[in-house]
Amino acid sequence: MLIAQIIVNGLVLGGLYACIASGFSLVWGVLNIINILHGSFIIIGSYVAYFAYNYLGIHPFLSVTIAAIVLFLFGYLIQAGIINRVVAAPVLTTLTLTFGLELLVNNSLLAAFKADYRKVILENPLGVIDMGGIIVPLDRLATMVLALILTGLLYWVLNASRIGRAIVAVRMDREAAALMGVKVKQIYAITFGLGAVMAGAAGSVMSVIFPISPLNNILFLGKAFVICVLGGLGSVPGAMIGGLALGMIESFGGLIFGPEHAMTLAFSLLILLLIFRPTGIIGKRGYQ
Amino acid sequence: MNKISSKNITILALLIFACFTVLSIGKVAESSENVIRVGAPLPLTGPLSPEGKKQVEGYDLWAETANKAGGVKVGNQRYRVEIVYHDYQSNTPRAVQLAEKLITEDKVHITFSPFGSGATKAASGVSEKYGIPTMAATASSEEVYNQGYRYLFNTFTPNQTLTEPLSDIVKERLPNAKKVAILARNDLFPLAIANVMNDSAKKRGFDVAFFEKYAIGTMDHASALTLIRAAKPDWIFATGYINDLILIRKQMGDLGISASVVTMIAGPAYKEFVDATGPLAENVTSASWWHPAVRYKGEDVFGTTENYNKMFEKKYGRVPDYAQASASAAGAIFQVAIEKAGTLDRKKIRETLAGLEVLTFWGPIKFGSTGQIISLKPPVFQIQNGTQVVIYPSEIQQAEFRVGVK
Repeated sequence: MLIAQIIVNGLVLGGLYACIASGFSLVWGVLNIINILHGSFIIIGSYVAYFAYNYLGIHPFLSVTIAAIVLFLFGYLIQAGIINRVVAAPVLTTLTLTFGLELLVNNSLLAAFKADYRKVILENPLGVIDMGGIIVPLDRLATMVLALILTGLLYWVLNASRIGRAIVAVRMDREAAALMGVKVKQIYAITFGLGAVMAGAAGSVMSVIFPISPLNNILFLGKAFVICVLGGLGSVPGAMIGGLALGMIESFGGLIFGPEHAMTLAFSLLILLLIFRPTGIIGKRGYQ
Repeated sequence: MNKISSKNITILALLIFACFTVLSIGKVAESSENVIRVGAPLPLTGPLSPEGKKQVEGYDLWAETANKAGGVKVGNQRYRVEIVYHDYQSNTPRAVQLAEKLITEDKVHITFSPFGSGATKAASGVSEKYGIPTMAATASSEEVYNQGYRYLFNTFTPNQTLTEPLSDIVKERLPNAKKVAILARNDLFPLAIANVMNDSAKKRGFDVAFFEKYAIGTMDHASALTLIRAAKPDWIFATGYINDLILIRKQMGDLGISASVVTMIAGPAYKEFVDATGPLAENVTSASWWHPAVRYKGEDVFGTTENYNKMFEKKYGRVPDYAQASASAAGAIFQVAIEKAGTLDRKKIRETLAGLEVLTFWGPIKFGSTGQIISLKPPVFQIQNGTQVVIYPSEIQQAEFRVGVK
């Protein structure tokens, strides 16, 4: 019974983790940019959900769309206006740039919303399902399902739409894509925008679970990093598998070694993976 | 575009000159005034910034109140209070550097400690070296004060003064309660309070069926809570900071965990905790060193606790919590000591503090031989109908202790 509960905990947590990481993985994989802003994007998504719920009465699962639009515009403008200027530079340059932008954005969030921890408290909480002693919290389950749908949507966009194919083409060979008439800079901006959409959507659905504060940016960013490396960079299924793997590892790590060492275990496995399989569990090149 | 004429340039130059003159006159006027400079290294950015900002609110209110009343009386003269803040970005080594900078470069007369037991302990060596009286407003762990330092004083009694009365209450009201589960953040204060809770519980015959730590930055407590649920404790005691405790309380709800008593330290003392957990906050107990419901008639600049609450609400539009009040108290205690000493001589201020026995809005003040305050009776409170009500000590009790947290 205990093991079953731990598996459920791990799966549900893993679904959330997958959602945190997919946008980060997309941007890293396609643009070769380590987007330090990712954590703050998630938090902006959470604030959109918080204010939409408390002032307009829009359920966080619906305000995902608002968060997506807001974050797409924000991400698109940042890439088109700022990062595109140095996008061809070595990864350290873009890393430094997004780090600087992160300081600006995060401190603006602190100034605007203060460091207080807020939370979306649903008027009608979804409750829990009790399956013979195994408890599944419905809000986590719903969030996980939504996260999986969003990640699936991203996968579909990349595979089936013209823009998606262009993104994949740019990822595989920038020069060749440009020669085929792909507007590379615009595709970059759209990709970054999509990465921000995924972050914002994740933030929005997770607002019913995690406390909201500008200070949580590092927590989200750290998880996204680990999941991407664990699952393999630059693939949507990779983020999914990395997320689920991390969720299960932390869950079982907590059971076996005590909660104190759940993260230690996750990071130890990460180091082992980096040594023996640096491409991650299902690392592939490109979004095929 | 018009060409800039030489006449315009002359006017501009004159304006700039005038500005500088006014500014420098202002400076001269300021420096001729009597000023007590108080150094405050605080975490104004980074993960501890919510706490750092609370400290600023408390210190500012004291400085403003003292200055409005004409300043601090030193002998026959009045001194204006000026607080020099530096942001150590929630980074303890930086706090130590800034504590030194405040003393050597900013030439402060006295200092407040950085936030929390860890940083306070780290920085206390600096003020000791220079012989600067220092007041810690947020450090309770005894390990900070048993270093043999003479210039460090504080406003929080040792950690067990929080867990002992709580344990007494639970023992008395629930004589059949047996099992206690303790979940602690692996951090100086949260772990220290969990350890003293462990002692308090064992001393009274409770069985500590679960005692685990979780790492700083943990985003999911499901595993730990699943284990707690399996242990079926009567009393769940969780420690951490507000972010952790909101998440733990939420996940307890998710996993359908209930217990006769749920205690959380430190978070429920803040209104944000109640706002963020909503109905789940109901009947959660906690303890802190002060509560706005305490009633003291102080001899300090704020006078009564009611007056302090009123002034705080007027300035910030909300009720003060113990963190803000402690910061104001740290200032007010300094003021009492300086006025009693009648001098800004640091050694004399230190001696006055060491022998001080005075009542303030914060409570009775008397420091033990280590510099840690020994005179406070920290209140135990419980969240009932969305507000914190005091259930101990009996002099200020507002409601009866309620059993059962769902």
